[in-house]
Amino acid sequence: MEALRSYLENMFANLPNTPEVQRAKSELFQMMEDKYTSLIEEGKKENEAVGIVISEFGNLSEIADTLGIQNFVGQSFNVNRRRVSHEEAHQYVLDRSRHSFMIGLGVLLCILSPITAMISDVIAPGNLGDVIGISTFFGLIAAAIAIFIYSGSKMKMWDFLKKVPCSIDYQTADELYKEQKLNQSTKTAHLIIGILLCMLWLIPMAILDVLPAGSFITEALAPSIMFIMVGIGVMLIIFSSGKDSAYTTLLSLNDKNTVSGNYESTGSGSVTYSNETVATIMSVYWPTVRCIYLIWSFLTFDWYKTWIIWPLAIIIHKVIKANYSMEAKKI
Amino acid sequence: MVEISSDIIRGYNDTIILYLLSEAPSYGYEISKKIRALSEDKYMIKETTLYSAFNRMEKNGYIESYSEIAENGKKRTYYRITGAGTQYYREKCEEWTLTKDVIERFIKR
Repeated sequence: MEALRSYLENMFANLPNTPEVQRAKSELFQMMEDKYTSLIEEGKKENEAVGIVISEFGNLSEIADTLGIQNFVGQSFNVNRRRVSHEEAHQYVLDRSRHSFMIGLGVLLCILSPITAMISDVIAPGNLGDVIGISTFFGLIAAAIAIFIYSGSKMKMWDFLKKVPCSIDYQTADELYKEQKLNQSTKTAHLIIGILLCMLWLIPMAILDVLPAGSFITEALAPSIMFIMVGIGVMLIIFSSGKDSAYTTLLSLNDKNTVSGNYESTGSGSVTYSNETVATIMSVYWPTVRCIYLIWSFLTFDWYKTWIIWPLAIIIHKVIKANYSMEAKKI
Repeated sequence: MVEISSDIIRGYNDTIILYLLSEAPSYGYEISKKIRALSEDKYMIKETTLYSAFNRMEKNGYIESYSEIAENGKKRTYYRITGAGTQYYREKCEEWTLTKDVIERFIKR
């Protein structure tokens, strides 16, 4: 059945993305599906059935006449687009997620850079400590910069994705879309752990504060723990989105005006709201929440309280979405 | 082997489909299956031909489409004939009787 689906998608890939064309595609697929199912029931093998269905399918130019799209059939719309192959697509995902890991690592090194200075200051006060502290500080920063430059230059080879119009075929798009969905939970897990680490550094600080304090603990260990936790947290947050945005970039390559530009939304589809007032409210929802959060936080400086806005906002958003959103019409 | 004349049959795809729809509302694959069975495998309509006929006749108001959940649980588009469709079908039948009558006179047996 997948073979039929991709046969049809590739036939339609360069046609204009209009409701009429989408309807033709979906109805032709119904017919092919019905025929295929009944051939299988008659005892035909899968590839045999696929062969028969495709050979009896007919010619797209016939449909083009009735749909008034003669000009599009045969003339390739994506002809000037650089085709991104299956292998390239996967290489890009890999490179992009490596790149985000490297950037995360670089940021981590930057955040960790003052630690040695603080520790050595306590352990070996005086010139020696200063020298060690400052040299490791600059050493770490230099390493971070080296990583940024190296990783950035590795990504240069993918610049064409943004500069040149590109396209991907249906099978690749379909596969990428499924992978993106699978990756969603990993992404969320990284993000949550990252955010938690950024928020929870207060706990070890508080515990260390209660312990009978030596200068080593209060002046070196406690701040170090904070830097390490925040650093790893930030790194995870940066890393979490790398792979996902690679998928999004690839899936949005195709010309939006052709059927192939619709590959992405065959599964996802943006949310539309049934009620116009709700739609207006939702379009400014997140900026408003952000404003409220910042205003409240800066006015009161109760940062430990104000974060509650975010979980609340998410719950309200979910409720509104569940009640007013219309399932994007799947054709 | 002699094959069916695609030029002639093209003008009568609509008639064939309307005949089947006048019996009962139906959907794409069922219609193509019936055409094949009734013609005793002599005529097999292609999917693209069938869909363009549906599309054209719906625009002309000869048939109407509606969707229904099929026995396999998927949504399927069904077609039914309209008053105008029945009218058009009758005209085509008359046209064919006349055509056949004329051509027959020139056929050697």
